[in-house]
Amino acid sequence: VRAMFLTFGALFGFLLSRARATDYDAIVGMFQFTDLHLMGVMGVGITTAGVGLLLLRRGQAPALTGDHRIEVRPKPMRPRIFVAGLVFGAGWGLSGACPGTALSQVGEGKLYALFTVAGLLAGTYLFGITRTDPTVGATSGGSQDPAQVPLFGAPVTRECR
Amino acid sequence: MIEAVFVEPWPFWAAGLGIGLFVTLFAWVTGKPTGVSTGLGSACGLVSSCAHFQEARYREPWRLMFVLGIPLGGLLAAALAQGTGLRPTFELGAFERAISAQPMVKAGLLFLGGALLGFGARWAGGCTSGHAIVGVAQGAKSSLVATAGFMVGGVVVVNLLFRVIGG
Repeated sequence: VRAMFLTFGALFGFLLSRARATDYDAIVGMFQFTDLHLMGVMGVGITTAGVGLLLLRRGQAPALTGDHRIEVRPKPMRPRIFVAGLVFGAGWGLSGACPGTALSQVGEGKLYALFTVAGLLAGTYLFGITRTDPTVGATSGGSQDPAQVPLFGAPVTRECR
Repeated sequence: MIEAVFVEPWPFWAAGLGIGLFVTLFAWVTGKPTGVSTGLGSACGLVSSCAHFQEARYREPWRLMFVLGIPLGGLLAAALAQGTGLRPTFELGAFERAISAQPMVKAGLLFLGGALLGFGARWAGGCTSGHAIVGVAQGAKSSLVATAGFMVGGVVVVNLLFRVIGG
């Protein structure tokens, strides 16, 4: 099972590279509207995935491995999700990568992407420690939806690391 | 055929088709949604005692394996592709024009960009794969709003970098 997910990861990294989603020039071109290649990739990708996932749902196909349930559902709405998206987008524009493509860039031998990946882990970690409100952990065992905890304003203590 | 897949550049429609089919195949075979940024949370969960990283979605062991596979695919693609080959490089392509600075400054800017990506992805609940591809493909409102934010943020920062700062 581990090998299966590793292989799928490799296939995804391969596709991102072949799609030029890891190409700094293509990212800059997309955000400046001078090179619409990646817009086209995303458009066709979303459409194809939309049809594929719809067929899976309509056909009520079971997953071929695991517990045979297909756990692909719409993600819940969160407060300030647009602002969160802006922060992410700023990172996309500044680093010329997103989480998946940064990892693929490292594999391609783009050595500066190591700093992007280090930043990715740091940013993810920072989110985790700002979301750990001891009052939340005490009452719900930390299972509360992080989106319901205010980002700023709530007293935050760094009791975890 | 082998040349077209591994060596020659892919047209946009082939790449889009490939990614869309990947998402479908991945869901069918494994039952899981394609997603990267939650797997980075799993990586944090290995070393962090924070309650946030103990939540169920980070404790799915497949996520880390998926994330670890991605660089292998990038390596394979670069090694076989026309022109590039597997050649470690410090080139940043178009970014060289905008941030022609000291190596430490470049590293710092990429680290900052990565940190914004990591924080923003956790805050939004997904990244380009989970929200922009898989989420939008399902027509999820959360993903449509998040993806609009991704694109606006990218457009603003890149145009600031290249038209205002970089001249």
